[in-house]
Amino acid sequence: MTCEDLRQDYTAYALGIADEPERIEIEKHLARECPNCVPGVKSALATVTAMSGAVKVVDPPKNLRKRVMASVAREPKRSNMSIYLPWAITAALSLALLLIGLNGRREFGETARLQQALSILNDPSAQVVSFGETQKPSKGRVFVSPGKGVVFIGASLPRIGSGKTFELWVIPAKGNPVAAGLFQGQADDTAVYVHPGPVDNAAAIAVTVEPAGGSPQPTTTPFIVAKL
Amino acid sequence: MRNALEYAGFAAVPCIATIGALSSSKIAPMIPLITIPGIVLALDLSGRHDEDLIRRLQRRDPDAMTELYDRYGRIVYSIILGVVRDAATAEDLVQETFLRVWNRVHAFEAGKGALGPWLLAIARNRAIDHIRSRGARMDRNAFELDVSDHPSLFVDMERDVLNTDHARIIRSALAKLSINQQKVIELAYFEGLSQTEMADRMGEPLGTVKTWVRAALKHLREELGQAVTA
Repeated sequence: MTCEDLRQDYTAYALGIADEPERIEIEKHLARECPNCVPGVKSALATVTAMSGAVKVVDPPKNLRKRVMASVAREPKRSNMSIYLPWAITAALSLALLLIGLNGRREFGETARLQQALSILNDPSAQVVSFGETQKPSKGRVFVSPGKGVVFIGASLPRIGSGKTFELWVIPAKGNPVAAGLFQGQADDTAVYVHPGPVDNAAAIAVTVEPAGGSPQPTTTPFIVAKL
Repeated sequence: MRNALEYAGFAAVPCIATIGALSSSKIAPMIPLITIPGIVLALDLSGRHDEDLIRRLQRRDPDAMTELYDRYGRIVYSIILGVVRDAATAEDLVQETFLRVWNRVHAFEAGKGALGPWLLAIARNRAIDHIRSRGARMDRNAFELDVSDHPSLFVDMERDVLNTDHARIIRSALAKLSINQQKVIELAYFEGLSQTEMADRMGEPLGTVKTWVRAALKHLREELGQAVTA
């Protein structure tokens, strides 16, 4: 859809009530920093924000303040690199996404894959890195357990044709990228991918678009790079 | 399903003393929007100190979170309560809102950004998400993105967008809208109804509802004038 098609829906989007397909189309325009839609949505958003000035003000109970502070204090410290997804960020939800990624297929070996994923997610020495800043479309998390493997969870992945595939790479501190498997995005542009096996000396995890069947070395520039 | 007629036509109802402690029991039907001009809220939520607060939050300073709550806690609670209409639920969602800010404030580039507006967007989003899931509105995806998931949209928002003058302007502007325009704004803001759902609820064609929504926002924007255009 063009900006002109979407112009009438900036208001609804700013209010959080846009219907499909307008909502997802506006999301796409925002993701690519569309010079029409971004200012249009921002303008509508400023008005919606100002509407809070007309909300009837009610005092919260006194203990709510302490409760909010206590819940913040309970949050674990995070590394400065982390940028958070719109989804919840616990390993439990990552697991739920993993299950969605497995699509409920009851294939032989699925249980083994799930167990591998679980053991990577649960490994206390696993590193977790988020990728995808607010301006770039693709976002997600990568879990790397040196002894057990890699779990990749991503959203807003590019649509690629049937002749292409996503390929995961382990980028070592020195030397060439190491191929770490192929995967496809789901209809909603998400993917959950598990690459089991020892991971040596990883400095980053990257994803490229390759021809179907993959490539021994990346043939395109990675659209995701998660530095560990 | 809420009965939209619970809310009296807000242009005509005198709104007295809206600031005051309420017990945590269920709240009687109330008019969430104030439209009588001249009632000045004691809160000044203009974002003059937002940049500093963002930086301190990014550095994990717990005092920054205390300050954030002291500044915005009441309006966050009020917005959420206006949507969920139950005090206990509102408290849970206030907690969730502040926690989200704590966990996502890194998404603000280098201390820029209108923190207050973003926080209020998160608050409203949590509340509407809650009532949608409660009402099992299956057309909505649990992982759907929303404006509150795009902090970059708030980056250069006019920092005075939440000041008391604008609050007064908005309230009088709302009073000048037609009854239908007021209704759709209320349904959108406090119930997160899509225009299709509104059309259903009001027994009106979708095109008509869309016209009312656009006209209402347009009038509000015009009244606010240059001050809030990005």
